[in-house]
Amino acid sequence: MGYGKYIAIRLLNALLVLALVTLLVSVLFTKVAEEDIKSSIHEQIGLYLRGNPELARALSQDPEKYHEWYQKEYERRLKAYGLDKPFMIRVLERTKDTLMLNFGNTKSPIFGETAVSKIISKAIPRTVILFTTAQIFVILIGLLLGVKAAQMAGSILDRGVSIVAMVTSSIPMWWFGMIMILIFSFKMGWFPSGGMTSTPPKEGFAYYLDVLYHMVLPVTTIVFVLFGGWAWTTRNIMIGTMQEDFIMAARAKGVPERKVIYGHALRASAPPIVTMTIFSLLGSIGGAIITESVFNWPGMGRLYWTALQQNETRLLMGVTFVTVALYLIAMIIADLAYGYLDPRVKVGASQST
Amino acid sequence: MRWVDVKASLKDFWFEFRRQKGGLFGLALLFLLIFTALAAPYITEPDIPKKWTQYWEGNPVTVPPVWYNYFTTKKLAPHEVLTANDLRITADGQDIGGGMKYYSFEFTYENNYDVPPSDIIIRNIGVKLADLTTPAQIVVTMIRPDGNKIELLNTELREGSIYQLAKDGKVKAAVFQWASQFENPETIAEGGETLKNTMDTMKVIFAKAQEGILTNPEALKGTYTFQVEIFTFTEGDQVDLSTTQIILSGRTYGLMGTDYKARDLWAGLVWGTRVSLTVGVTVAVLTVLIGIFYGVTSAYLGGWKDEFMQRVNEFWASIPTLPILILLGAAFKGHVSLWTIVFLMVAFYWTGIAKVARSMALQIKEQTYVEAAIALGAGTGRIIFKHIMPQIMPYAFAAMALNVPGAVLTEASLSFLGLGDPTAVTWGQILYDAQTQSATINGYWWWVIPPGLAITLVAFTFVLIGISLDRVLNPRLKRL
Repeated sequence: MGYGKYIAIRLLNALLVLALVTLLVSVLFTKVAEEDIKSSIHEQIGLYLRGNPELARALSQDPEKYHEWYQKEYERRLKAYGLDKPFMIRVLERTKDTLMLNFGNTKSPIFGETAVSKIISKAIPRTVILFTTAQIFVILIGLLLGVKAAQMAGSILDRGVSIVAMVTSSIPMWWFGMIMILIFSFKMGWFPSGGMTSTPPKEGFAYYLDVLYHMVLPVTTIVFVLFGGWAWTTRNIMIGTMQEDFIMAARAKGVPERKVIYGHALRASAPPIVTMTIFSLLGSIGGAIITESVFNWPGMGRLYWTALQQNETRLLMGVTFVTVALYLIAMIIADLAYGYLDPRVKVGASQST
Repeated sequence: MRWVDVKASLKDFWFEFRRQKGGLFGLALLFLLIFTALAAPYITEPDIPKKWTQYWEGNPVTVPPVWYNYFTTKKLAPHEVLTANDLRITADGQDIGGGMKYYSFEFTYENNYDVPPSDIIIRNIGVKLADLTTPAQIVVTMIRPDGNKIELLNTELREGSIYQLAKDGKVKAAVFQWASQFENPETIAEGGETLKNTMDTMKVIFAKAQEGILTNPEALKGTYTFQVEIFTFTEGDQVDLSTTQIILSGRTYGLMGTDYKARDLWAGLVWGTRVSLTVGVTVAVLTVLIGIFYGVTSAYLGGWKDEFMQRVNEFWASIPTLPILILLGAAFKGHVSLWTIVFLMVAFYWTGIAKVARSMALQIKEQTYVEAAIALGAGTGRIIFKHIMPQIMPYAFAAMALNVPGAVLTEASLSFLGLGDPTAVTWGQILYDAQTQSATINGYWWWVIPPGLAITLVAFTFVLIGISLDRVLNPRLKRL
């Protein structure tokens, strides 16, 4: 099967997933939004009556007339919100809007904006800054430690890496963040307890230093929780590769050990490690959702928290859509990279686990 | 498989597993956790889940555990509840003429702490008034170790009255007046009304009678006696002291302290084990069973059916789990039952195992003895359950153990977001409360550290067991 066709099928699959997930989510949220709007309509009519005491007095004398008026007013407003259309039509409209990136507006401003798409486009770069930085550290430390551990299989370092990997992968990342804040922010007072900048934000170069300063605690948290698992997986892959015949051949030829490890073994282990890189980035999006809200970092994760707390269904829907889309894009990139690095891969052998 | 074979293979397995130190340690931890979960009603109280959503009246709010005293130089008073048995009744309904009766009792408090109790609460005095418009009278006097006497309270007593001495304005006024005689008059003149309002009543009555008693009270250690006198004025009034409770509200409480609803966090920690273990194990077992069934079926059917099932699997696997779970939780408006959470996690987690099970089944299917069995006319069910399943089962056990941590962490994460089951006591919810009440910024470490450690411990236990099982049962990993 050709590479082009492979790409096309992956893309199609991703688009289908995105559309179906959006549809499913739309069903849920059309239902939720309907109830929200209905109760808000009752409130609005009550407010309107209070604002027109004459009308209220006229209506209060005749309960039948009042009932009739109320019903008419209710239906008028229902129609204004488009709730008179059948459920499925509304679901499909919402799905279409979401797929076209028309997420609508929030009830109250977040990050100084009410348009959901604007809020999200402010949040994404902030998340990327934090997690790319952290992930670079994780990959560097993990790779170095993993290779060293594989080289000295059975040594104290090797066992240490295994134990650290087991312990850190059991820790909830967001809880570790809370502990970091407790120690380094509350007890020691070394670092700020949250946010991306000081309030008010600094100007010029000091602004960037300030952001870096605010990044120290969250980055440390992410690196601490993730590097062990990374080192351990790298070690396992490397040990597998180092038992292959071509490594023995290289050694027999008298190739220096350094070159055997970094030139031959690491290169042969590259495909799974590259996919792991991409998937650990994906995984960190999942962990990040909550870690960000702990550190009050104004990115995608904090948006989730805010949306949940303030019951902003449109924002919730928008953030989920974008997260799913990003996830799918990353998955395609991972698949393509894998297919490129290891030509044996065919469609169907996707590395989704 | 015959019973003897099962026994023999179990014996073999145990022989191998025994050599895995981590696995044995994990097993010990697992037994400890199961014991805690089962014994939760006996270790704490049986009605904790029902009480958990309410405010725990009578307990101090956000105080550290009792053992915190070992690590601080300033010793904090623990929480104490005195009942009728701890009271010394000195007069029980003496007739003092005119239809009036006199009751009185005493209790003592040994103050060995640098920070005294935060409040003294007197409640549940069984008063029955014949005439509700004529309340009884209560007088509370404190006799300090230095011989000083303070009349703290002199007020009316009605049915169901509760006296919180630290919060009572009259007590405050009385204490301020008493303490003023020791304080430097200039300080009082300067401080005035603010000094009175900011004064910590309890710290002052347990302080040394010296200059600075109002501005910087220094604890006076020793035995304090409290006299409570009750006068009734109408014939037929009844006072029953046997239900009386005196609460010396602590600056520390129990084994793990309390949270903002004055709940005993130790009880929450112990009960949380149940949810964590149940959710973790149920999700792991169900996902693995479903995954293996799906994978083996797919491999066995082969051809276009296999192809179709694999496409469905991949499609399902490419849905990111956490955002969808969050959305679903939000759609249910935070009233997701534990079983819904379990169901949702199972629905999303089986795909990976199905993939591995399929590849294993494909290999086994090609082996000669399976071909021989088919040639001999063995039925589909027989081949799947006699030949394929037993070979996949070891993998299944390891996969189950390795799947528990993910489920435990996900459940905790959902609860932390406020999407958990509100009727269940879970560690994630304790941490959610801690986060919404800014526990980290206020330094309430006892509210933040233990629940997270507990989550980590459960996840770690199953990682240990899973990795050891994997090493024993999947020999291809042994060489690593």
